[in-house]
Amino acid sequence: MNTILDADTLLAVDVGTVNTRASLFDVVDGRYRLIATGRAPSTAGPPLFDVSESVRMSLERIQSITGRPLMDESDSLILPVTTEGAGVDVFVSTTSAGPKVRTVLVGLMPGVSLQSIRRLASSAFLEIVGEIGLTDRRRDAERIDLIIAARPDLILVAGGTDGGAVDSVLQMVETVGLAANLLPGGRQTRIVFSGNRHLGASVMEYFGERLSVTMTPNVRPSLRQEDLAPARMHLAEIIAEVRSSRVAGFGELETWSRGFLLPTADAFGRVIRYLSNIYGPDKGVLGIDLGASQTTVAAAFDGALRIMVNSDLGMGASLPGLLRHGDIADVIRWLPVEIPEYRVRDYICNKAIQPGTVPAETEELYIEYALAREVIRLALGIARSEWPAGKDSDTLMLLPPLEPIVVSGGVLARAPRPAHALLTILDALQPTGISTLVLDPHNLTPALGVAAGPLPVLPVQVLESGSYASLGTVVAPVGSARFGRQILRVKLERETGGEDMTGEIRMGQLVVLPLAQGEKARLTLRPERGIDVGFGGRGQAGALRVAGGVIGLIIDARGRPIFMPKDPDRRRELNQKWLWDIGAME
Amino acid sequence: MRNYYIPPVTHVIPLTTIRRERVLPVPGAVTVRVNEKVQASHVVAEAETVPRHFFLDVVRGLGVTQQNVGRYIVRREGDRVDAGEVIAGPVGIARRTIRAPANGRIITISRGRVLFEARGELLSLRAGFPGVVIATDGTRSVTIEATGALIQAVWGNGGQDYGVMRMVGEGPADRLKTDQLDVNLRGAVLVAGICDHPAPFHQATELSVRGVILGGLASDLIPVAQRLPYTVVVLEGFGERPINPPAFQLLSSNIGREVAIDGQQPRPYQVQRPEVIIPLPAARDVELPDEVIPLKPGVRVRIVRAPYQGEVGAVQSVLNQAAQYPSGIRAMSAKIELAGGNIVTVPVANLEVLQ
Repeated sequence: MNTILDADTLLAVDVGTVNTRASLFDVVDGRYRLIATGRAPSTAGPPLFDVSESVRMSLERIQSITGRPLMDESDSLILPVTTEGAGVDVFVSTTSAGPKVRTVLVGLMPGVSLQSIRRLASSAFLEIVGEIGLTDRRRDAERIDLIIAARPDLILVAGGTDGGAVDSVLQMVETVGLAANLLPGGRQTRIVFSGNRHLGASVMEYFGERLSVTMTPNVRPSLRQEDLAPARMHLAEIIAEVRSSRVAGFGELETWSRGFLLPTADAFGRVIRYLSNIYGPDKGVLGIDLGASQTTVAAAFDGALRIMVNSDLGMGASLPGLLRHGDIADVIRWLPVEIPEYRVRDYICNKAIQPGTVPAETEELYIEYALAREVIRLALGIARSEWPAGKDSDTLMLLPPLEPIVVSGGVLARAPRPAHALLTILDALQPTGISTLVLDPHNLTPALGVAAGPLPVLPVQVLESGSYASLGTVVAPVGSARFGRQILRVKLERETGGEDMTGEIRMGQLVVLPLAQGEKARLTLRPERGIDVGFGGRGQAGALRVAGGVIGLIIDARGRPIFMPKDPDRRRELNQKWLWDIGAME
Repeated sequence: MRNYYIPPVTHVIPLTTIRRERVLPVPGAVTVRVNEKVQASHVVAEAETVPRHFFLDVVRGLGVTQQNVGRYIVRREGDRVDAGEVIAGPVGIARRTIRAPANGRIITISRGRVLFEARGELLSLRAGFPGVVIATDGTRSVTIEATGALIQAVWGNGGQDYGVMRMVGEGPADRLKTDQLDVNLRGAVLVAGICDHPAPFHQATELSVRGVILGGLASDLIPVAQRLPYTVVVLEGFGERPINPPAFQLLSSNIGREVAIDGQQPRPYQVQRPEVIIPLPAARDVELPDEVIPLKPGVRVRIVRAPYQGEVGAVQSVLNQAAQYPSGIRAMSAKIELAGGNIVTVPVANLEVLQ
């Protein structure tokens, strides 16, 4: 994959489980801009099991919007742009559709290679069907039985630092090789070895020529160092191969994209890491992609990315995972009207079998967004266990300072009002201090992540172009105070003139101050003693320049964690009030 | 421009050709021939389930050196051996031996260790419905064809059976109750509207019913249904979901006939679904059902979500612009003429084609 220097037009397609989205970028006034997007229901599943139909539907949408022909008479993408201005210069693609890749993880020590291989696996759309480690007390024969019973598509093997363990690694490799050779029906199981790289030749010898083996750089080159990026790249290729073998149409996308085809989560993570490099080391950057079959949580701290793809939590077929990871009562607490528990359970199960459906009635919308809150909250909790010390869930109950927080996904992007999306994110994430919440309404993030390969300048210019919707700047004071007590004084001075605003914020309030998208203002915050707004400690006052958003400037003084009354009636009233306060209810 | 909407298709067809592939999870042996007639309970293929493996340490077991171990191993890689047969030895005065722990075969012999594979239990694959074998690959898959009525479902508890169909209750929304279940239903496949209590399921177990066909199942009964010894298929979904009118009419008109019910659990990216097959003779050739039916005027659809959930109608028009709904969402939509004549606007995402 090489960088392309002389290209104007880029077409990106993201094939999801429920939706397929195409985005056309072109140079306008010397800078890359989003020109048009097209969306179509995905055809990766029944009845077609062929992604190419929905890809062409989404391209036809763009054709009809822009009048620019993208496909020729044989329905093939026109590459590169013709002299008549048809087609595109570059095509890139991302995908999260297709069956999960059944994977067995093999490592040596639980806290070392097994942990790294688990992290590698959790960053991709895999279904872990077995795990083998040196300390799991299984005999070799039992390990063989485990692999055969699991019938994996992929076996990920790690172990040994570079120049480290030899015998134990080779013994494990021998066991895996025996099992893989015994898999019934010549099943094409791929093996990825990401362990002690000094053992390359021996490992290949043990696996033999019959097996499909990929060697990657060691995920754990030394005890203190973890390097997942190269293995992740190979993993993406293997996942793409497995998907292509199960669902038609991916081969064509590979041909068109000439290697620029990535898993959606990988491309999403690239953008989050890039933003982290821009915003600097003071705060982390958080990205949440709430999909139908998976939820991706990408967090980057000082340029180091931690990404977790949770394929057991999503708003479609994987929605019942919410009942395995969480409690139905945690969903019900977010409902502004009384809905019996059994109705919520039925809703979850029906949505899982009909993942593409949408809520037409208000009551169903409330259930949908209550579920979205809990899916995000649970996925974040699981992902935080892998965040660096000091920012993980073990050391701090509260989220670390984050700037910005980027969210995408069909449920959030197609919320009836942006305020619905905003309140869902606030409730689910409960950010602290000062953060900007950014919504990706066109699902551009994966497109920008993969476009960074051929056209590195494109994502930079599109991110600056206003194609994302800033929902607003959120100020979330942290500290304990009695409900209703004044905790913060606020002064907002607009740079463009207009009336300045001052006010007092009381504990429990959710306040929106109007500050339009693109508008800048100086915000002065004077917290009471014991209250922290992110200026270096409790009671510390300060001022900063803030940008407006679709909603405005939001002051979320509902407490961290948000105070929820035990009385159901009172709790529902409060949920209604918050919907009203934020502007999601008329 | 392409038709943008290709909704999922559910078949509710009074007479069609039904072609189903039965596939073993692992290769084995097909026990039927092409053109052979099979009954629902007919075993069409067999395979050993996942075998167990043992490492037999000959060096340690016989107390010999690794250099000499080769001369004591009396079997070769690939040999099939019965339980108790000698694999290595005898050695010494005590005439120590290593014997096969079960019926099986020797996979590898390496560094004084024998990898032995014990045979797994036999897995039998049944036809599931009466028909004719039209294709087989000889080791793993068999394709069976028949004519009859077909009703596809959305969920099943994993079972598969065949029996005489009996109606319980009066209508498509009637709840399954214990007092409706008596000895006359022993061994039958029951049709009922909704089940929201475990007691009727347990009562049906006592009666040794073969299966239950439901419109809606309370979602908290899923674990109960999964443990039942008989097959459950759910046609509409979870909760208060009566059987759709065309399906109810089809089932009602075939009460007393033998039906095949397949309760396989639906999985994403899997073609086959849970279903009910009513074998019926056909005087002429009947076509296979269409798997892809674009949404266009005249197509019969079922609405799968509130407010018209479960209603069946015909597409009047597919709207060019997104419509707004009481929830506030905007969605691409179609106008549907319901069975009663009302015309309603519904998100196309909430429709499935009913053929």
